[in-house]
Amino acid sequence: MNWLKKIITWSRMKSPWIIHFNTGACNACDIEIIASLTPRYDIERFGVLLKGTPRHADVLVCSGPVTRQIKDRLVRIYDQMAEPKFVVAVGTCACSGGVFQGCYNVLGGIDKAIPVSAYIPGCAAGPKAIMDGVVKLLSSLEEKKVTAADVIIEKKELPAVAPVPPPVAGPGPAQEEKA
Amino acid sequence: MSQEENIKQELITKFGIPEANFRLPRERRIFVEVGQEIFPAVFDYAVRQLKFCHLCTMTGLDDGDKLSVIYHLAQDRSIMINIKTSVPKDNPKLMSVTSYFSSADAYERELADLLGFKVEGLPPGNRYPLTDDWPRDQFPLRKDWKTPATKV
Repeated sequence: MNWLKKIITWSRMKSPWIIHFNTGACNACDIEIIASLTPRYDIERFGVLLKGTPRHADVLVCSGPVTRQIKDRLVRIYDQMAEPKFVVAVGTCACSGGVFQGCYNVLGGIDKAIPVSAYIPGCAAGPKAIMDGVVKLLSSLEEKKVTAADVIIEKKELPAVAPVPPPVAGPGPAQEEKA
Repeated sequence: MSQEENIKQELITKFGIPEANFRLPRERRIFVEVGQEIFPAVFDYAVRQLKFCHLCTMTGLDDGDKLSVIYHLAQDRSIMINIKTSVPKDNPKLMSVTSYFSSADAYERELADLLGFKVEGLPPGNRYPLTDDWPRDQFPLRKDWKTPATKV
Protein backbone atom coordinates (compact mmCIF):
# COMPACT_ATOMS: atom_id res chain seq x y z
CA MET A 1 0.00 0.00 0.00
CA ASN A 2 3.07 2.23 -0.25
CA TRP A 3 1.83 3.75 -3.49
CA LEU A 4 -1.33 4.85 -1.72
CA LYS A 5 0.63 6.65 1.00
CA LYS A 6 2.65 8.35 -1.70
CA ILE A 7 -0.50 9.56 -3.39
CA ILE A 8 -1.87 10.83 -0.10
CA THR A 9 1.32 12.75 0.67
CA TRP A 10 1.45 14.15 -2.84
CA SER A 11 -2.14 15.31 -2.71
CA ARG A 12 -1.66 16.81 0.72
CA MET A 13 1.31 18.80 -0.48
CA LYS A 14 -0.42 19.93 -3.64
CA SER A 15 -3.61 21.05 -1.93
CA PRO A 16 -3.09 22.04 1.70
CA TRP A 17 -6.41 23.31 2.96
CA ILE A 18 -6.09 25.87 5.67
CA ILE A 19 -8.18 27.33 8.42
CA HIS A 20 -7.35 30.76 9.67
CA PHE A 21 -7.76 31.53 13.35
CA ASN A 22 -7.14 34.86 15.03
CA THR A 23 -5.97 34.21 18.57
CA GLY A 24 -5.82 37.85 19.52
CA ALA A 25 -4.05 39.59 16.66
CA CYS A 26 -4.39 43.26 15.80
CA ASN A 27 -5.76 42.24 12.35
CA ALA A 28 -2.65 43.31 10.45
CA CYS A 29 -1.49 39.71 10.03
CA ASP A 30 -5.04 38.68 9.16
CA ILE A 31 -5.11 41.22 6.38
CA GLU A 32 -1.78 39.91 5.09
CA ILE A 33 -3.08 36.33 5.18
CA ILE A 34 -6.13 37.41 3.20
CA ALA A 35 -3.89 39.36 0.83
CA SER A 36 -1.82 36.26 0.16
CA LEU A 37 -4.95 34.27 -0.61
CA THR A 38 -6.67 36.80 -2.84
CA PRO A 39 -5.76 37.40 -6.50
CA ARG A 40 -2.78 39.72 -6.07
CA TYR A 41 -0.57 36.96 -4.62
CA ASP A 42 -3.10 34.19 -5.16
CA ILE A 43 -1.73 31.18 -3.33
CA GLU A 44 -5.01 29.51 -4.17
CA ARG A 45 -3.47 28.69 -7.54
CA PHE A 46 -1.21 26.26 -5.65
CA GLY A 47 -4.21 24.54 -4.16
CA VAL A 48 -4.20 26.38 -0.85
CA LEU A 49 -7.86 26.74 -0.01
CA LEU A 50 -9.29 28.63 2.95
CA LYS A 51 -11.89 26.41 4.59
CA GLY A 52 -14.62 27.35 6.97
CA THR A 53 -14.22 24.50 9.40
CA PRO A 54 -11.22 22.90 11.14
CA ARG A 55 -12.54 19.45 10.22
CA HIS A 56 -11.75 20.11 6.55
CA ALA A 57 -8.38 21.74 7.13
CA ASP A 58 -4.83 20.38 7.15
CA VAL A 59 -3.09 23.55 8.30
CA LEU A 60 -4.14 25.81 11.14
CA VAL A 61 -2.92 29.33 10.37
CA CYS A 62 -2.83 31.32 13.61
CA SER A 63 -2.20 35.02 13.96
CA GLY A 64 -1.63 36.95 17.14
CA PRO A 65 -0.59 36.15 20.67
CA VAL A 66 -2.62 33.58 22.58
CA THR A 67 -4.76 35.37 25.10
CA ARG A 68 -5.70 33.49 28.23
CA GLN A 69 -9.35 33.58 27.23
CA ILE A 70 -8.78 32.18 23.73
CA LYS A 71 -6.45 29.38 24.80
CA ASP A 72 -9.20 26.83 25.45
CA ARG A 73 -10.88 27.68 22.13
CA LEU A 74 -7.61 27.36 20.24
CA VAL A 75 -6.92 23.94 21.76
CA ARG A 76 -10.46 22.89 20.96
CA ILE A 77 -10.13 23.92 17.31
CA TYR A 78 -6.78 22.17 17.12
CA ASP A 79 -8.33 19.00 18.52
CA GLN A 80 -11.10 19.14 15.94
CA MET A 81 -8.65 18.95 13.05
CA ALA A 82 -7.94 15.58 11.53
CA GLU A 83 -4.43 14.10 11.61
CA PRO A 84 -2.00 14.87 10.17
CA LYS A 85 -2.27 18.50 11.07
CA PHE A 86 0.14 21.40 10.99
CA VAL A 87 0.14 24.73 12.73
CA VAL A 88 1.64 27.86 11.22
CA ALA A 89 2.23 30.84 13.49
CA VAL A 90 1.98 34.02 11.43
CA GLY A 91 3.59 37.15 12.81
CA THR A 92 5.94 37.98 15.65
CA CYS A 93 3.14 37.93 18.21
CA ALA A 94 2.14 34.41 17.20
CA CYS A 95 5.77 33.26 17.31
CA SER A 96 6.67 34.59 20.74
CA GLY A 97 4.00 36.88 22.10
CA GLY A 98 5.83 39.88 20.69
CA VAL A 99 5.18 43.16 22.41
CA PHE A 100 2.38 41.55 24.39
CA GLN A 101 4.71 39.31 26.39
CA GLY A 102 3.97 39.64 30.06
CA CYS A 103 0.56 41.23 29.66
CA TYR A 104 -1.79 39.92 32.30
CA ASN A 105 -4.23 38.69 29.67
CA VAL A 106 -1.69 37.11 27.32
CA LEU A 107 -0.26 33.64 27.58
CA GLY A 108 2.45 34.09 24.91
CA GLY A 109 3.08 32.61 21.48
CA ILE A 110 1.02 29.91 19.82
CA ASP A 111 3.48 27.25 21.02
CA LYS A 112 2.41 27.91 24.59
CA ALA A 113 -0.93 26.31 23.74
CA ILE A 114 -0.40 23.90 20.83
CA PRO A 115 2.62 22.50 18.96
CA VAL A 116 3.70 24.69 16.03
CA SER A 117 5.19 23.41 12.76
CA ALA A 118 6.29 26.69 11.17
CA TYR A 119 6.99 30.16 12.49
CA ILE A 120 6.66 33.17 10.20
CA PRO A 121 8.01 36.28 11.94
CA GLY A 122 7.24 39.82 10.89
CA CYS A 123 5.11 42.70 12.07
CA ALA A 124 3.02 42.22 10.10
CA ALA A 125 4.26 39.13 8.24
CA GLY A 126 3.90 40.06 4.56
CA PRO A 127 2.27 37.86 1.93
CA LYS A 128 5.66 36.92 0.52
CA ALA A 129 6.88 35.83 3.95
CA ILE A 130 3.69 33.83 4.46
CA MET A 131 4.12 32.14 1.08
CA ASP A 132 7.74 31.38 1.92
CA GLY A 133 6.72 29.86 5.22
CA VAL A 134 4.06 27.70 3.63
CA VAL A 135 6.45 26.54 0.92
CA LYS A 136 9.08 25.67 3.54
CA LEU A 137 6.53 23.73 5.56
CA LEU A 138 5.41 21.77 2.50
CA SER A 139 8.92 21.20 1.19
CA SER A 140 9.96 19.87 4.59
CA LEU A 141 7.36 17.17 4.07
CA GLU A 142 8.82 16.41 0.68
CA GLU A 143 12.47 16.39 1.74
CA LYS A 144 11.88 13.97 4.54
CA LYS A 145 9.76 11.86 2.20
CA VAL A 146 7.37 11.43 5.05
CA THR A 147 4.13 9.67 4.48
CA ALA A 148 0.90 10.48 6.15
CA ALA A 149 1.41 7.68 8.65
CA ASP A 150 4.87 8.96 9.56
CA VAL A 151 3.55 12.40 10.16
CA ILE A 152 1.02 11.07 12.61
CA ILE A 153 3.77 9.33 14.57
CA GLU A 154 5.94 12.41 14.42
CA LYS A 155 3.21 14.65 15.74
CA LYS A 156 2.54 12.37 18.66
CA GLU A 157 6.17 12.60 19.75
CA LEU A 158 5.93 16.34 20.20
CA PRO A 159 6.22 17.50 23.80
CA ALA A 160 3.05 17.85 25.79
CA VAL A 161 1.42 21.24 26.02
CA ALA A 162 3.09 23.29 28.72
CA PRO A 163 0.81 24.07 31.66
CA VAL A 164 -0.30 27.64 32.11
CA PRO A 165 2.22 29.38 34.38
CA PRO A 166 0.44 31.00 37.30
CA PRO A 167 0.91 34.76 37.41
CA VAL A 168 3.46 35.86 39.98
CA ALA A 169 2.05 37.93 42.79
CA GLY A 170 3.12 41.51 43.14
CA PRO A 171 3.63 43.05 46.58
CA GLY A 172 -0.04 44.01 46.66
CA PRO A 173 -2.19 43.04 49.63
CA ALA A 174 -3.74 39.59 49.37
CA GLN A 175 -7.48 39.83 49.77
CA GLU A 176 -10.44 37.56 49.71
CA GLU A 177 -12.95 38.25 47.04
CA LYS A 178 -16.54 37.19 46.73
CA ALA A 179 -17.47 35.16 43.71
CA MET B 1 -27.11 80.89 34.26
CA SER B 2 -26.14 78.01 32.08
CA GLN B 3 -27.63 74.59 32.49
CA GLU B 4 -24.40 73.22 33.90
CA GLU B 5 -24.29 75.98 36.50
CA ASN B 6 -27.90 75.22 37.44
CA ILE B 7 -27.10 71.55 37.98
CA LYS B 8 -24.02 72.46 39.99
CA GLN B 9 -25.95 74.84 42.24
CA GLU B 10 -28.72 72.28 42.66
CA LEU B 11 -26.25 69.64 43.85
CA ILE B 12 -24.50 72.13 46.16
CA THR B 13 -27.73 73.19 47.86
CA LYS B 14 -29.17 69.70 48.03
CA PHE B 15 -26.13 67.73 49.26
CA GLY B 16 -23.72 70.36 50.53
CA ILE B 17 -20.92 69.32 48.22
CA PRO B 18 -18.07 71.86 48.46
CA GLU B 19 -17.80 74.06 45.41
CA ALA B 20 -14.11 73.17 45.08
CA ASN B 21 -15.14 69.59 44.22
CA PHE B 22 -16.80 70.80 41.01
CA ARG B 23 -15.04 71.38 37.75
CA LEU B 24 -16.74 72.70 34.62
CA PRO B 25 -13.94 72.57 32.04
CA ARG B 26 -16.17 73.36 29.06
CA GLU B 27 -19.80 73.61 28.10
CA ARG B 28 -21.97 70.55 28.74
CA ARG B 29 -19.36 68.90 30.98
CA ILE B 30 -19.56 68.59 34.75
CA PHE B 31 -16.96 66.87 36.93
CA VAL B 32 -17.73 66.35 40.59
CA GLU B 33 -16.10 64.46 43.43
CA VAL B 34 -18.34 63.18 46.17
CA GLY B 35 -17.64 61.25 49.34
CA GLN B 36 -18.58 57.62 49.63
CA GLU B 37 -21.21 58.39 52.32
CA ILE B 38 -23.34 60.70 50.14
CA PHE B 39 -22.61 59.00 46.84
CA PRO B 40 -25.75 56.77 46.74
CA ALA B 41 -27.99 59.80 47.29
CA VAL B 42 -26.17 61.93 44.71
CA PHE B 43 -26.25 59.14 42.16
CA ASP B 44 -29.94 58.49 42.75
CA TYR B 45 -30.71 62.19 42.44
CA ALA B 46 -28.70 62.53 39.24
CA VAL B 47 -30.40 59.55 37.63
CA ARG B 48 -33.97 59.99 38.81
CA GLN B 49 -34.37 63.76 39.25
CA LEU B 50 -31.82 65.29 36.89
CA LYS B 51 -32.56 62.62 34.26
CA PHE B 52 -29.02 61.52 33.61
CA CYS B 53 -30.49 58.41 32.09
CA HIS B 54 -27.52 57.04 30.15
CA LEU B 55 -24.49 55.41 31.77
CA CYS B 56 -21.80 56.00 29.16
CA THR B 57 -19.08 54.08 30.98
CA MET B 58 -17.34 53.67 34.28
CA THR B 59 -13.67 54.40 34.90
CA GLY B 60 -11.69 52.74 37.66
CA LEU B 61 -8.57 54.38 39.08
CA ASP B 62 -5.81 53.35 41.43
CA ASP B 63 -5.13 56.51 43.45
CA GLY B 64 -2.43 55.21 45.74
CA ASP B 65 -4.05 54.50 49.11
CA LYS B 66 -7.54 54.55 47.68
CA LEU B 67 -9.42 53.29 44.65
CA SER B 68 -11.70 55.58 42.70
CA VAL B 69 -14.52 55.18 40.24
CA ILE B 70 -15.85 57.75 37.82
CA TYR B 71 -19.40 57.28 36.63
CA HIS B 72 -19.90 58.99 33.30
CA LEU B 73 -23.58 59.81 32.97
CA ALA B 74 -25.25 61.60 30.08
CA GLN B 75 -28.50 63.45 29.67
CA ASP B 76 -30.77 63.77 26.68
CA ARG B 77 -29.56 67.35 26.17
CA SER B 78 -26.04 65.95 25.80
CA ILE B 79 -24.84 67.23 29.15
CA MET B 80 -22.39 64.82 30.77
CA ILE B 81 -21.83 64.56 34.48
CA ASN B 82 -18.79 62.67 35.73
CA ILE B 83 -19.27 61.62 39.34
CA LYS B 84 -16.09 60.48 41.05
CA THR B 85 -16.07 58.64 44.32
CA SER B 86 -13.25 56.98 46.23
CA VAL B 87 -13.03 54.05 48.59
CA PRO B 88 -10.11 53.01 50.83
CA LYS B 89 -7.85 50.41 49.24
CA ASP B 90 -7.89 48.08 52.24
CA ASN B 91 -11.70 47.88 52.15
CA PRO B 92 -12.82 48.76 48.61
CA LYS B 93 -16.55 48.28 49.00
CA LEU B 94 -18.60 49.80 46.22
CA MET B 95 -22.33 50.13 45.72
CA SER B 96 -23.59 48.34 42.63
CA VAL B 97 -25.57 50.52 40.24
CA THR B 98 -27.10 47.55 38.41
CA SER B 99 -30.47 48.44 39.97
CA TYR B 100 -30.35 51.65 37.90
CA PHE B 101 -28.48 50.39 34.83
CA SER B 102 -28.53 46.61 34.43
CA SER B 103 -25.80 46.83 31.80
CA ALA B 104 -23.43 48.22 34.42
CA ASP B 105 -22.66 44.68 35.57
CA ALA B 106 -20.01 44.29 32.85
CA TYR B 107 -18.26 47.44 34.04
CA GLU B 108 -18.54 46.40 37.65
CA ARG B 109 -17.20 42.92 37.04
CA GLU B 110 -14.28 44.53 35.27
CA LEU B 111 -13.66 46.77 38.28
CA ALA B 112 -13.85 43.76 40.59
CA ASP B 113 -11.51 41.66 38.43
CA LEU B 114 -8.91 44.18 37.41
CA LEU B 115 -8.80 46.58 40.37
CA GLY B 116 -10.19 44.47 43.18
CA PHE B 117 -13.32 46.38 44.07
CA LYS B 118 -15.83 44.54 46.21
CA VAL B 119 -19.06 45.44 44.48
CA GLU B 120 -22.02 44.93 46.76
CA GLY B 121 -25.27 43.93 45.11
CA LEU B 122 -23.70 42.62 41.92
CA PRO B 123 -25.75 39.66 40.63
CA PRO B 124 -23.85 36.36 40.60
CA GLY B 125 -22.19 35.43 37.34
CA ASN B 126 -19.01 34.36 35.62
CA ARG B 127 -15.74 36.18 35.86
CA TYR B 128 -15.11 38.95 33.40
CA PRO B 129 -12.73 39.73 31.74
CA LEU B 130 -10.10 37.51 33.39
CA THR B 131 -10.04 33.75 33.01
CA ASP B 132 -11.63 31.46 35.55
CA ASP B 133 -8.27 30.13 36.75
CA TRP B 134 -6.90 33.58 37.54
CA PRO B 135 -5.95 33.91 41.24
CA ARG B 136 -8.61 35.66 43.27
CA ASP B 137 -6.19 37.90 45.12
CA GLN B 138 -4.43 39.46 42.13
CA PHE B 139 -5.60 42.61 40.41
CA PRO B 140 -3.51 43.39 37.34
CA LEU B 141 -4.53 47.02 36.91
CA ARG B 142 -3.39 47.99 40.39
CA LYS B 143 -0.19 49.98 40.22
CA ASP B 144 1.69 47.73 42.63
CA TRP B 145 1.00 44.63 40.53
CA LYS B 146 3.96 43.35 38.56
CA THR B 147 3.80 40.88 35.71
CA PRO B 148 6.14 37.90 35.67
CA ALA B 149 7.92 39.41 32.64
CA THR B 150 8.78 42.72 34.29
CA LYS B 151 9.65 41.26 37.67
CA VAL B 152 13.41 41.57 38.25
